[in-house]
Amino acid sequence: MRPLIDLVNIDKVYDNGVIANNGVNFSVKKGEIHALVGENGAGKSTLMKILYGMEKPTDGEVWVNGEQKHFNSSIDAIAATIGMVHQNFMLVPSFTVAENVVLGDEPRKNGLIDREQVLKITKDLSEQFGLFVKPDAIVDSINVGMRQRVEILKTLYRQAEILILDEPTAVLTPQETDDLFKAIRILVNQGKTVIFITHKLREVKEISDRVTVMRHSKVIGTLDTKDVTREQMANMMVGREVFLDIKKPKIRRGGKRMSVKNLSFVSEIGRKLLSNVNFNLYSGEILGIAGVEGNGQTELVEILTGLKPAAGGTVLVGDCNILKSTPREIRLRKIAHIPEDRLTNGVAVRSTIEENLIVDRYFRKPIKKGLFIDSKVVKAKCKDLIKKFSILTPNGKLPVSSLSGGNMQKVVVAREFSSEPEVLIASQPTRGIDVGSTEFIREQLVEIRSRGTAILLVSADLSEVMSVSDRVVALYEGEITGVFPDASKVSEKELGLYMLGVKQQTYEEMEKYL
Amino acid sequence: MKNFFKSKGFREFLRVLIALAIGLTFGFIITLFVSETPIEAYKSFLLGPLTRLNRIGDWLEDSLTLVLVGLAMCIVFTAGQWYVGAEGQMILGSLVSGVVVLFVPLPPALRITLAFVVAAIVGFLWAVIPAYLKAYLNASELITSLMLNTIAIKAFEYFLKYYIMPEGSRTMTSARVPVELQLPTFIPDLPFLSSIREIWMKQTSVSIIVYIAIAAVIAAYLLLYKTPFGYELRTVGSNKKFARYGGISINRTVLLAMTVSGIFAGIAGTHLTLAIHNRLIVGMSSGMGFEGVNIATLAQLNPLLVPIASLLYGYMRAGAEVMERTTDVSRELVMVIQAVILLLVTAERLMPTIQQRIADRTEENNNNNGKIKGGTNDV
Amino acid sequence: MTFETVLQSIFTSLFLASVIRISTPIIFPALGSLVSIKAGASNKALEGLMLVGAFTGVMVSAFTGSVWLAVLSGIAVAIVISAILGIFHLYLGTNLFIGSLAVNMMCSGGTTFLMYIITGDKGNTGNLASLSVPNVHIPFIKDIPFLGEVLSGHPVFTYLAFFLTFVVYIFLYRTSYGVRLRAVGENPDAATSLGINVKRVRMTAIIISGMLSSLGGMNLSMAYLQMFARDMTAGRGWIGLASVSLGGRKPLGTLLAAVLFGFSDAIANQLGSLEIPAQLVTMIPYATTIIALVAYAIQQRQAILSRMKKFQEEQPEELTEKPAVSK
Repeated sequence: MRPLIDLVNIDKVYDNGVIANNGVNFSVKKGEIHALVGENGAGKSTLMKILYGMEKPTDGEVWVNGEQKHFNSSIDAIAATIGMVHQNFMLVPSFTVAENVVLGDEPRKNGLIDREQVLKITKDLSEQFGLFVKPDAIVDSINVGMRQRVEILKTLYRQAEILILDEPTAVLTPQETDDLFKAIRILVNQGKTVIFITHKLREVKEISDRVTVMRHSKVIGTLDTKDVTREQMANMMVGREVFLDIKKPKIRRGGKRMSVKNLSFVSEIGRKLLSNVNFNLYSGEILGIAGVEGNGQTELVEILTGLKPAAGGTVLVGDCNILKSTPREIRLRKIAHIPEDRLTNGVAVRSTIEENLIVDRYFRKPIKKGLFIDSKVVKAKCKDLIKKFSILTPNGKLPVSSLSGGNMQKVVVAREFSSEPEVLIASQPTRGIDVGSTEFIREQLVEIRSRGTAILLVSADLSEVMSVSDRVVALYEGEITGVFPDASKVSEKELGLYMLGVKQQTYEEMEKYL
Repeated sequence: MKNFFKSKGFREFLRVLIALAIGLTFGFIITLFVSETPIEAYKSFLLGPLTRLNRIGDWLEDSLTLVLVGLAMCIVFTAGQWYVGAEGQMILGSLVSGVVVLFVPLPPALRITLAFVVAAIVGFLWAVIPAYLKAYLNASELITSLMLNTIAIKAFEYFLKYYIMPEGSRTMTSARVPVELQLPTFIPDLPFLSSIREIWMKQTSVSIIVYIAIAAVIAAYLLLYKTPFGYELRTVGSNKKFARYGGISINRTVLLAMTVSGIFAGIAGTHLTLAIHNRLIVGMSSGMGFEGVNIATLAQLNPLLVPIASLLYGYMRAGAEVMERTTDVSRELVMVIQAVILLLVTAERLMPTIQQRIADRTEENNNNNGKIKGGTNDV
Repeated sequence: MTFETVLQSIFTSLFLASVIRISTPIIFPALGSLVSIKAGASNKALEGLMLVGAFTGVMVSAFTGSVWLAVLSGIAVAIVISAILGIFHLYLGTNLFIGSLAVNMMCSGGTTFLMYIITGDKGNTGNLASLSVPNVHIPFIKDIPFLGEVLSGHPVFTYLAFFLTFVVYIFLYRTSYGVRLRAVGENPDAATSLGINVKRVRMTAIIISGMLSSLGGMNLSMAYLQMFARDMTAGRGWIGLASVSLGGRKPLGTLLAAVLFGFSDAIANQLGSLEIPAQLVTMIPYATTIIALVAYAIQQRQAILSRMKKFQEEQPEELTEKPAVSK
């Protein structure tokens, strides 16, 4: 008797020669919650894309419910009752929740879309599976948690029996994660099967029945969750001990480098995204901002780096208020920025590596010589940086698009760190990159910390924030809810409460530590 | 050696060659249907410009105008702006050059120089409005520049009709530019060249614009690839958000991209007045602005390739004119041929190789995913 | 004619009727542009497609004597040419802007070329006995004083233009196909993940925009005038494109914007009878486009700023204690 899902001997080789899946055998039993783990680049997303019809395997067989399938597109997979919730939400921003749920298979009356039915369907599904949404809210205005529920409703609308969730908790708070897990259990109770892609081992232990570990395009093993520890899974994932133990020399905090006072920001549609934000950055210290994405961090970082205007407040560097400064002026003040979205802001993928490395210094000596840019100097300096930051590339004149995610981030880091900044604003610096690069970047952060840079670290990865930062604040709905002068002395659970606004310190309590 | 044949440059070259071949063949097929003497017609199209010195001259002169507008378009497109105002900049350049040359009391050499300078300035300034509107209000530069093109043309006609046209003239043209104020021929006045010079001067009016055009090509190349300003243009065109994040002033770059291109377009206008037409006449810009777009496309936005693209493209235009004069096929056929060539040249997927596919794939994946929420770019 | 006379003539039924008539050839390409923009594949070859429609309509009607056959042919040819553009862009990688310009060039040259071959005239087809579409005289309405003259008696195409605006609205917002088209334009990845074939949708959008544009062209050669003249579209395709931006990318807005341009065109005609030089007068529609675009952009900006300010004022900043929040 074949299991519900049976992927046999799957190979996937891309046109450029990259091997994403190599002889993968993967099966899922009906009604189970099956976790698929591996670090970035292990091939788990590719495997699921094959199962969902988004990619065709180079070799191997796909069996669903006892029948061999050849999916030409996701529509075939959907017809086979497979549904997938992606990491990047596939929603149309200007449509309502309900419109998004039925998109592609709209109920009709007299040739036109039956609007009442659309709303009813959404409501009914939402109630049946305990996934709370507002059917006529415009998707652009709802929060991340609700967006994810909309995505799940989409699959249920299409009668998915098998749900693939791709890194669903990456954008959720601990509380929202609990809600999601509750919903998953309801789904499974009603007969559904769930495949759960993640690299968060604690969640694997909490929710799954079985787990498959992948590494470098191969399956290392499939085990019952109760029979394996997190350490064992981690070992299988990387083949070596993975510990989040950042070696940090003792903190030597120096003078105040940046002082943020009463910062506020209002969005275009009138939502308050930041209010009364106060904190200081000190030389040689890493201040971490813990918070789930969407609580104002993005706006905070953009304001501090000149990419967005604030509504009110001041940001003092020295005795200058940089609130109305341009990015150029801010960089000239030796404030560097690792942006949260490297593809959008951090690099220009069509430009060469060299061109990406000099954007903050092309107008100054030694790169600028007279009226021209000295290409010899550019070549030499970039060669230097490529070596120093271990950027994996044969030469600096290739476009950045030829690099992997981790190496692209290293280009960003190389540029920002080499400008010898006095203040560094790092936003999600290790998101979506391989373990090797992640370790390297964290080491580099500690390195410039030792050299006296004041660092603001914004990260949705709680363990990263807590282990890399010296001091930590929690940001919830645009307000600082708590500050912890010693990051090593607060527990993840405690910090989580502040991150969710469940607990809040008063301004008086916080003042002296901000 | 194998790498050479696989290299991007060679592939591009091959693509242009194939596109040309297909386009010309297509044109020939149409000629077969349409003409009573198709072979003769097409022969005059393909070889006509070379048969007489004055035709060669016309071809070269036309190509020189194309070089200048082509360079103008390379500059704006490199910055990623869909600005097509070269036509307006050019016609106004023609206008002011004509005015300077006909009415300003200065010795000839100074007058001509002044004409160039004023044309460049006017071309520069005419882009200020669309540039500002784009930079500060994000108003589509495509639409504003198109509208301003028409406004410029009508302004030209207005000034021509009411202020410049001589009294009692029956045609809408200005007085002829006197010989001493026309641009002198490009062959220098040296003893051992005098016989060649005489022949060229008699049959053609290819002028010192040749040197100006060469200088313009070099200047554009240096500007785009060797200066900080060029770096800004290229980076803004590559990824605007990255440019801003890195400290580049987008507004300033956009403004300068459009206005600097106007310098080239304005000078093209002077060329029209002082060499090609030798007067101000209605319709003298005849759509050259859009031809500049075509040249820039064929030259892959590389100033160094603009001269070749211009000569090729100009040759076809010249050939079409000869064909129309000597046979029964009208010249608009060449527009169809050129359109086919352009479509084929820009059809990047027509001749992919593995390397190109990588670039396409990663570009597609990376450039369109600006809005990744908490996601990874997993394989 | 004095200024007052001109002013008075604006408020006549004749003038208003002319506004409606003049707007028609702008409305068609505007609607076409709207559909293609909503799908994320902005077709800029509207000029060329209009010309092709205009030309084909004249030729077929002159040689077959059937107006409706001519209209169908015009649409058919536009479908073919839009499809070619679509194929080059969607399947062969040509940049849509450059490709559109190439198609415009091809159509401009091609129609003039063919006109010369068929009629021996490079200027217009005045010598051909081509036909025009009938005018519609609406019973009852045509007898209403003033309004009757404004609303009735227009060529069929004019009513078609306004009707099609409504059809486009229903199409985009109430039909499955239209909703998916908009999804493709806004988030092609989302559409793909739901099994919607982005390329096919965009191809259809490009073809629809071609069909609508060709109707606009036929309106010029078979209603406005009764012949084809070289490059007779005179920039209307681009003004149609501008109308979409001006109209906020919505059907009704696009229609109003197109009518606005028609209005300024009509005014230019009226003013032509004064002593103002024709060149200056004919600048008016083009200058209006720019001013209107600017006004629109400024207004958008102001709206955003004032919304932000409003919320600022409603909730003044206070640096006080906040009770523990349980949400």
